Amino acid sequence: MRRLLRDPVAVAALLLTLALIAAAIFAPWLTHGDPYDNDLGSAMAPPGEEHWLGADDQGRDLVVRLLYGLRLTLLMGAVSVAVGGGIGTLLGLAAAFYRRADGTIMRLMDVMLSFPAILFGLAIAAIFGPGATAVMLALVVATIPLACRVARAAAIVEMGRDYMEAGRAVGLGDGRLILRHLLPNCASSLLVFATLRIGQVILLGSALSFVGLGAQPPTAELGAMAAQGRTFLFFAPHIAVVPCVAIFVVVLAFNVLGDALRDALDPRLRL
Amino acid sequence: MSALLEVEGLAKHYPVRRGLVMARQVGTVRAVDGVSFRLDRGETLALVGESGCGKSTTARLVLRLIEPSAGTVRFEGTDITALGGQALRKLRRRMQIVFQDPFASLNPRMTVGDILEEPLIVHEIGDRAARRARVEELLRLVGLAPFHAQRYPHEFSGGQRQRVGIARALAVEPALVVCDEPVSALDVSIQAQVVNLMKDLQARLGLSYLFIAHDLAVVKHMADRVAVMYLGRIVEEAPKDALFARPLHPYTRALLSAIPRPDPHRRGGHQIPKGDVPSPMNPPPGCHFNTRCPFATDICRTEDPPLRAPAIPGLPAGHIAACHHSESLPPVAVEEEAQPMAPAAARRLALYAERRGKMAATAG
Repeated sequence: MRRLLRDPVAVAALLLTLALIAAAIFAPWLTHGDPYDNDLGSAMAPPGEEHWLGADDQGRDLVVRLLYGLRLTLLMGAVSVAVGGGIGTLLGLAAAFYRRADGTIMRLMDVMLSFPAILFGLAIAAIFGPGATAVMLALVVATIPLACRVARAAAIVEMGRDYMEAGRAVGLGDGRLILRHLLPNCASSLLVFATLRIGQVILLGSALSFVGLGAQPPTAELGAMAAQGRTFLFFAPHIAVVPCVAIFVVVLAFNVLGDALRDALDPRLRL
Repeated sequence: MSALLEVEGLAKHYPVRRGLVMARQVGTVRAVDGVSFRLDRGETLALVGESGCGKSTTARLVLRLIEPSAGTVRFEGTDITALGGQALRKLRRRMQIVFQDPFASLNPRMTVGDILEEPLIVHEIGDRAARRARVEELLRLVGLAPFHAQRYPHEFSGGQRQRVGIARALAVEPALVVCDEPVSALDVSIQAQVVNLMKDLQARLGLSYLFIAHDLAVVKHMADRVAVMYLGRIVEEAPKDALFARPLHPYTRALLSAIPRPDPHRRGGHQIPKGDVPSPMNPPPGCHFNTRCPFATDICRTEDPPLRAPAIPGLPAGHIAACHHSESLPPVAVEEEAQPMAPAAARRLALYAERRGKMAATAG
């Protein structure tokens, strides 16, 4: 962690990420007004004094919608990475620990990996109907095999170390060996993976919303907002540009932070 | 003395498969190929041999960390080769292992206190306070201080980590400790400390050691008996002094002659076996050592020599070797032969003595 704080780019990314998360959490207190409150009088108002970032075609303030959109987008990213990453990690650790199950688990992951996430989104939206839940489900399914591979790769290295054998020699059960010994030693790779994956997942989720499979209008969600603004791109470009820039900043922040974490936690640099 | 551990015909064969889809077995690596020995209470048996001869595999087979292909292991009189579940867990309290690499054998994410307490927790020994006390006691036992319990492994030196590894092995009060090259990753100066600590602990706690090593100097210091392994088999076994004084297998002789001696007059005097160790997938017929043995004859290339006591008068009990020619091997050169001093050195020493005598005379 100290190594992370020595890198100015990493510090900037960390602060930006924390600021974004804070803004999303405290959205209702930072703004006054409702993201669904329309005021047709100021429809498509350009950025100005009354609406800092302008208003959309229904006259809804874009700052308010942006913060609420950020809320939903980050929540979707975090939940799908947490759930997908958690399931994937357990599967990956199991594959590394029980070499018998390795082939089966990993081939299953290969199958999952061979479907594009957009296709998953389509299928799930077709079954459950479009919405934020469908997007999250698709993102979870798309994250499981990746997390599984990362966890397995890290765990196989750790499995070869003597402390695992020492644990077995002393009579530890499998559950304790996996959760108390294997998992903590794979944690740094998984943390890096999760951080980078949140960025990717947000991008993917926005794409799914953009094509209309995700959050439905009028829900404030960055991808859906961009899709909605697309229609007015020539009259009021700010309606589409503002959410797109927001997506860009969020994804960039998570990617840079993930890279910096990787540099800081690289086992080859660790003493 | 009663036998603590009896190993008979222990073997571990690894199938070698080729092909991706229709994998077929193309051979077998005989990592351990019919090893038998016994270990008494309070005794140290050293297993020596070069890399890849199956020493460590044998150790792990004894501990049931890997499953044997054949053979039996009897521990305290019961056959443990087929134990499972609760019985196996109970057995784990009786036999422990100390690893070679102290940097890999301790979980870097746990404090030393947690590492030492964990065996006590899983075996449900004592309550929380009693376990804490036991951790302190263990730390003191291996020459560390109680405050070390809060530290992480990376805060320790190699020698200190190895002490933690020994303490962990002793936490459950085992009768047998398998030491898998416990000092070969340490500096020579630290080796002596750790070896002496292990000898002390053996005397105090009545431990039996199965001591795996390739450093014969350490073996000479630690062991009561020595078994020499080559290509997955024991080729010679003897009480330590007998083995070092009169090795009866050509391979043992080659190993002993490879011990470095700080004596310039013996430079270049050792016989190193020519060639490489044959592949354990495809050992040579007859005696496995015949391809590299300077004494090999026709019988060695066809007939596998059994492990037997050679008919040599005055041979101590328990000295066995697997060589057709043990009786007829030429005697080994006497090891500790004093070298005559070089004339120049003798003159200089005489000069020193003379000088010292003069000074003493003037002072007195």
